[in-house]
Amino acid sequence: MTNYNSEAVMDDLDVPAAAPAKAREAVGARAAAKSRGLNVAIGISAIVAAIGIALWVVQMSGGMVQTAMRNLDSWGLYITCFMFFVGLSAGGLIISSVPKAFGVKGFGGISKVAVMTSIAATVGAIGFVVVDMGQPLRVWELFVYSNLGSPLMWDIIVLMVYLMLSCVYLWAQIAAEKGKVSHAALRVISVVALVCAVMVHSVTAWIFGLQQSHEMWHTALLAPWFVSSALVCGTGLVICAAVALRAAGYLKWEQADLVKLAKLLAAFLLVDLYFFGCDLLTEGFPAASGAEIVAMLVSGPLAPFFWGEVVLSALAVIICVVPRLRTTPMLVAAGLFAIAAIFCKRVQLLVGGFQVANIDWPAVLTPFTVTDWEGNMAQAYQGMVYWPTPLELGIALGVVGLSFLIFFLGLKLLPLKPAGGK
Amino acid sequence: MARYGMAIDTKRCVGCNACTLACKQANNVPDGVMWSRVLTDGGDMPDTPASDGGNLSMRYFPMGCQHCENPACVKVCPVGATYKDPETGVVRQDYDKCIGCRMCMSACPYSGVRSFNWDEPQYCLGHDVGDADAPAHQKHVVEKCTFCYQRISKGEVPSCMDLCPARARFWGDLDDPNSEVAKKVASRQYTHLLEEKGTKPSVYYLV
Repeated sequence: MTNYNSEAVMDDLDVPAAAPAKAREAVGARAAAKSRGLNVAIGISAIVAAIGIALWVVQMSGGMVQTAMRNLDSWGLYITCFMFFVGLSAGGLIISSVPKAFGVKGFGGISKVAVMTSIAATVGAIGFVVVDMGQPLRVWELFVYSNLGSPLMWDIIVLMVYLMLSCVYLWAQIAAEKGKVSHAALRVISVVALVCAVMVHSVTAWIFGLQQSHEMWHTALLAPWFVSSALVCGTGLVICAAVALRAAGYLKWEQADLVKLAKLLAAFLLVDLYFFGCDLLTEGFPAASGAEIVAMLVSGPLAPFFWGEVVLSALAVIICVVPRLRTTPMLVAAGLFAIAAIFCKRVQLLVGGFQVANIDWPAVLTPFTVTDWEGNMAQAYQGMVYWPTPLELGIALGVVGLSFLIFFLGLKLLPLKPAGGK
Repeated sequence: MARYGMAIDTKRCVGCNACTLACKQANNVPDGVMWSRVLTDGGDMPDTPASDGGNLSMRYFPMGCQHCENPACVKVCPVGATYKDPETGVVRQDYDKCIGCRMCMSACPYSGVRSFNWDEPQYCLGHDVGDADAPAHQKHVVEKCTFCYQRISKGEVPSCMDLCPARARFWGDLDDPNSEVAKKVASRQYTHLLEEKGTKPSVYYLV
């Protein structure tokens, strides 16, 4: 191994070259207050998660009729959030594994914290699938009667592997710092984790993209696009988490590394917007049935989410590329904008898929046919065909709380601080 | 080995919904659920015509599961709860297996033919009706038209065939050239719903 390489790996192991003694003392002084803050955070997220579970019991016992999902818009907020959380899980793992896999300089001492965000987001994604299921007690069937031809089955397999791999990867990093895992082994795990991360986003895209029934979803671009969207919101999440932890005194992080991550975020955002442009042009140019989808996004019921994504993405890019704007609060804002932009994207995809009916001929509508069933078909599709009920929002919040709980517990119980930074 | 199918004569259908009710009765379909519905190709409301300024036009399309030869739903079901019956070509649904993920509902291009029991099944009559051997309905699973599997497995015809006052429906084995349905398909012009989706439906609309 060359000198350069071993240096790089050293860097990835989060050993700060020379942590100033003063800073270390300051960190120690704030430790007590910080640990109390962490306990409060754990308590709050546990309560939110518990409320979510209680509401889920209400949904299961009283029936999913309490959600706004209906036969013609059979998925809703849960699957939107599932897509979103799978995306959020990307950033941490990729940001942490790319430098190690390719033996280049990393982003400072945030590698382990970044992987922890991945684990938390993946647990959230799995949680959203579970609350969406009508028969969660039959979940064991997935492993007994697996139909390996179903993209949903692929996703369940890849998501499980991804979660386990993230845990193994985190363990390997901690063990490597203690010298129990060799750098070569860590590098191999990084490569496998990276491949798995790309797969998990592609397969999630294929749940939608392989369906010929929804014109908006049925595009080969969807898989790479999911990867780029995942990188955008994942990087945004890592920026926000790392800055917050630095402010709380949990870890030390060089501003230069933050700027490096911000530049990366700008690149990911531009790729994502580029894919968006390609897709819109391909849909709209023939001025055939795809034009209806472009109209729905640009000026139809989903316009707030379309323009929301475009404007938030553009703002985030501007903040990340203009050196004068790269202050810490502005970069956190850029991270939040990026996350919000991708959430808008997920809403467009999910609701947009159902918004254009394949067969819109009127028939007798029942309370189970479509969310807004009391008028005719045209009225049901006038605004957004689906909008969640308070119960769905509550359960979704509960799953988000669960993710935060996992993350905070990781911070408290696992040695995620950069080695030597104590 | 058979490939059961149905032809529906849009020139005969008067949109009376007798098939809708026959289906609900025979299969004890819960309140709010309809396995077969009659769609109006015309105005904005059911039973209203479209107008091009002078001429009015209206057609009816009774629509249930299309029992596709290349079903989108079967491919995506993660547990094989929806499957193509090799004996009859009918797309069936196993309520006991369904995990309620609704992947089949979003994969099916014929939106609305698959129905999820969003609530505990309720019945406007206080008791069960219809065929004793029709499978019992369950909460939080997907269900749909089975071509009345309990009937056709005994050599009978689906219930929607029985009451059609306009005699607009034709039933049989598409692979048997002497069947009623095969003769109609051979002699009449027909269309499929959403042919461009490539699902190869077993329901033919005679035009």
